[in-house]
Amino acid sequence: MFERDYRDMAAGLLMAATGGFVAIYASTQYNLGTFRNMGPGMFPMLAGSVLVFLGGLLAVTAFFRAGPMPKIRISTPIFILASIAAFALLIRNFGMLPAVLAVTLIASLAELKMRPVSLVLLAAGLCLMTWLIFPLGLGLNIPMLRWPF
Amino acid sequence: MDILANVSLGLATALTPVNLLYCFLGVFLGTVVGVIPGIGVLTAISLLFPLTFYLEPTTALIMLAGVWYGTGYGGRTASILLNIPGSAANAVTCLDGYPMARQGRAGVALFMTTMASFFGGCVGILVLMLFSPIIASYALSFGSAEYFALMVLGLVAASTISEGSAIKALGMVVLGIIFGTVGMDSQTASARFTFGMLDLLDGLSLIALAMGIFGVAEIIASVRRVDGGEVLDAKVSWASMKPTRDDVKRSWFPVMRGSTIGTLFGTLPGTGPSVASFMAYAIEKRIAGQPERFGKGAIEGVMAPESADNAAEQTSFIPTLSLGIPGSATMALMLGALMIHGIAPGPSLINDQPALFWGLIMSFWIGNVLLVILNVPLIGLWVKLLTIPYHLLYPSVLVFICIGAYSVGYSAFDVWMVVFFGLLGYVMRIFAMPAAPMLLGFVLGPLMEEHFRRAMLYSRGDFATFVERPISAVIVALTFALLVWTVWTGIRRARTRRNTEMDDGLTQS
Repeated sequence: MFERDYRDMAAGLLMAATGGFVAIYASTQYNLGTFRNMGPGMFPMLAGSVLVFLGGLLAVTAFFRAGPMPKIRISTPIFILASIAAFALLIRNFGMLPAVLAVTLIASLAELKMRPVSLVLLAAGLCLMTWLIFPLGLGLNIPMLRWPF
Repeated sequence: MDILANVSLGLATALTPVNLLYCFLGVFLGTVVGVIPGIGVLTAISLLFPLTFYLEPTTALIMLAGVWYGTGYGGRTASILLNIPGSAANAVTCLDGYPMARQGRAGVALFMTTMASFFGGCVGILVLMLFSPIIASYALSFGSAEYFALMVLGLVAASTISEGSAIKALGMVVLGIIFGTVGMDSQTASARFTFGMLDLLDGLSLIALAMGIFGVAEIIASVRRVDGGEVLDAKVSWASMKPTRDDVKRSWFPVMRGSTIGTLFGTLPGTGPSVASFMAYAIEKRIAGQPERFGKGAIEGVMAPESADNAAEQTSFIPTLSLGIPGSATMALMLGALMIHGIAPGPSLINDQPALFWGLIMSFWIGNVLLVILNVPLIGLWVKLLTIPYHLLYPSVLVFICIGAYSVGYSAFDVWMVVFFGLLGYVMRIFAMPAAPMLLGFVLGPLMEEHFRRAMLYSRGDFATFVERPISAVIVALTFALLVWTVWTGIRRARTRRNTEMDDGLTQS
């Protein structure tokens, strides 16, 4: 427990900052127009301003109350997000097989435990399954293997 | 008879082989994800969402809806056997379902709750059939001002009634609306918030957003936490399912009360199945002759919430289909599926697309019957599913998320968007910011902007239009009352908390 709700204070400030950025960016970069005939910038500017207000309100109320300490996981999000990023990097140039293998391998590392046998079985099973479902079953035009060089 | 013609049209649509197949696929997958803790209904629907691009809109909606009410059936399996809710709406079922299983009555609990779910589902569908056309015909006279006011009311209600901080939920709605403005402005064709990226001109991908903030964030939070636990008394035979005469006698009224509560709460924005099942349990316990039986395996304690859960799942389609205003994130995804096919949601939907509307509703009957068949004889299969370890499950889900996001436009950029929204979704979880309101805002945002701009154009820039038109004025007043009520309860809660803290301080010193 914190004496003050620092988690919600940070959340409120982040919200207000995001809203402020949106409102300022929209009103400087895009045409606001008039209320009768609104330009592309008006609605985002209003929405951003509301977000500034709500974020400020959250931060202020959080200042006057005790709050819980958030539990933050570091390694898990890194592995999980890296596995998706690996898919994004591999899919166009190398095809589906390497991409699926990369996702399975990197995502499994998030367990922080190596299970070589089950990992190999899982990867093989997923490759087979995605091949059966996507190119074969649904007729998607995604090559299984590709060599860009 | 008008309704007979509609019903037969709906049946003709729902009974085509393709629609039957996808209805079965939907309820089957719904049961699967309902059974497995750590994969929620929103993850499942966003996983299947890319498929809707290749399907007729009616078929797509039948499938997605099947997943939605299918989880209501599957979710109680884990609640009863593991004491872990398979989905949020089944959390209360643990309270009496697990004690029943420990008394060796798991079979009875599973069988009877299937019947409760079916009964609740039927009541919900009947109300949906009777009231949607009435509400829609009333709403046909709405102009842009009414629509904008109604959307604001829907979003405010969804954020303030649901549990947790109302400020945070409202903030997430607004953030969703802001995300919805990214891309080409529909009226002036100027690019907004694209920062020079051509891929952003079409706007952010709804699929990437839903997969990121629900699917990926849920996995990040569940890895090394959820695991195939020990299943209690996994043998569920036919004989063990047979309820005693006492069980049946005790169940009638709770099921009827539960269905009524579920029907009511399903239609309100922000409440939905979770609140409905919780309320049904609370009321059952309050009016019970022997409240001390609750929590120790009282059959009323599983029947009422399960029927409420399924009734609410069906009636949540009422505002979505008759007004075009979704009350929950799942309904927002249904609306998104319609919009992808160029169908404008709103009160004219029932008249313009009768085959879609009545076909979808008739598919609910078929789906509910399929679910009873799936859940009673095949219960052993679902119990086995509970033993699949999570470390095999989540990499598979990630693979399907990646391919699903990629397959929509064969664009690696969409996969990068999943990474972005996955990170955002996890950061939001750290700060205890709810993700569902953001999706609601994202889907409704562009519609809100369109109606806002049109209403202001008609009124020549005068904001008074929202309070001068009578229907719009009532809606604005309701919204305002809801906000005042939220602030008031918030202040009262803070004050009682401070008082109890002071009392604690006094007794300690």
